[in-house]
Amino acid sequence: MSGRSVPHAHPATAEYEFANPSRLGEQRFGEGLLPEEILTPTLYHGYYVRPRVTRAGDSSRAGASELRLSEGKFQAFLDVSHFTPDEVTVRTVDNLLEVSARHPQRLDRHGFVSREFCRTYVLPADVDPWRVRAALSHDGILNLEAPRGGRHLDTEINEVYISLLPAPPDPEEEAEAASTDP
Amino acid sequence: MANIILRHLIETPVRYQEEFEARGLEDCRLDHTLYALPGPTTVDLGSARVAPARPVDSAAELPPSQGKSRFQILLDVVQFLPEDIIIQTFEGWLLIKAQHGARMDEHGFISRSFTRQYKLPDGIQTKDLSAMLCHDGILVVETKDPLGTE
Repeated sequence: MSGRSVPHAHPATAEYEFANPSRLGEQRFGEGLLPEEILTPTLYHGYYVRPRVTRAGDSSRAGASELRLSEGKFQAFLDVSHFTPDEVTVRTVDNLLEVSARHPQRLDRHGFVSREFCRTYVLPADVDPWRVRAALSHDGILNLEAPRGGRHLDTEINEVYISLLPAPPDPEEEAEAASTDP
Repeated sequence: MANIILRHLIETPVRYQEEFEARGLEDCRLDHTLYALPGPTTVDLGSARVAPARPVDSAAELPPSQGKSRFQILLDVVQFLPEDIIIQTFEGWLLIKAQHGARMDEHGFISRSFTRQYKLPDGIQTKDLSAMLCHDGILVVETKDPLGTE
């Protein structure tokens, strides 16, 4: 169980909801911290945690990857605020939606940094990869959207005919037939 | 042993001072309940900490305290395993590289890598530095001169 990040559970159960959260935090990486940004350590449900200060003006989707699967639409939000728009590429490979981004070395408030990441979403079966649209908001949240129902999901049933192979001739019967024949 | 301050990444005041009198500091290292919430008899954090006012361009460097140059950086590497992280020094620069290959998470697959560079203060060698990865994913690289040695 420990090595598996996505346990197999039925989609209608609570286990599935907890194992497949629609929102994943901590999507920003390679960030420096200042000692002032770490608040007094505290206990949270028996665990020792160190809360951090959040920056003013951060939206609820800051630093997160959010997946929304409604009936008519596939929608994903991803924080790519470390990258400029021309450093982000979105492409689909079959039914995979790939968001990759890299930026060369640049100076931020902690020092020099260069980053690279590639995230792959799996499109549901009824999403047409050609109809994926991407938009980048002013605060660096990438909005990926595609209508669902672009492909019909009718199951094609093809009954396969089972041909009967002739049984191999039994050697004993053959011997008997040969002995009784004359 | 009055007014113990544990250097658990940041100076953390100890709540149950008398607990350490009987048990010793090293035995309590993993007992997080002991130094979790600041109690009524805590030390003033502001006096123990280095002054926050410093120029923006050298934000990673702390100003020299007690005449010795002190260097400390904090880095959030919560997405990476300890074996994914490489720390190097090269001609007065500190390089921290972290990379993890394609890995499955709840939304699909993800791979990340980053490189950070910091200018080391003059005269700081590799042997002067120590690195620590905390359980909550904060990497600390600092000079081996804890405040407690004086």
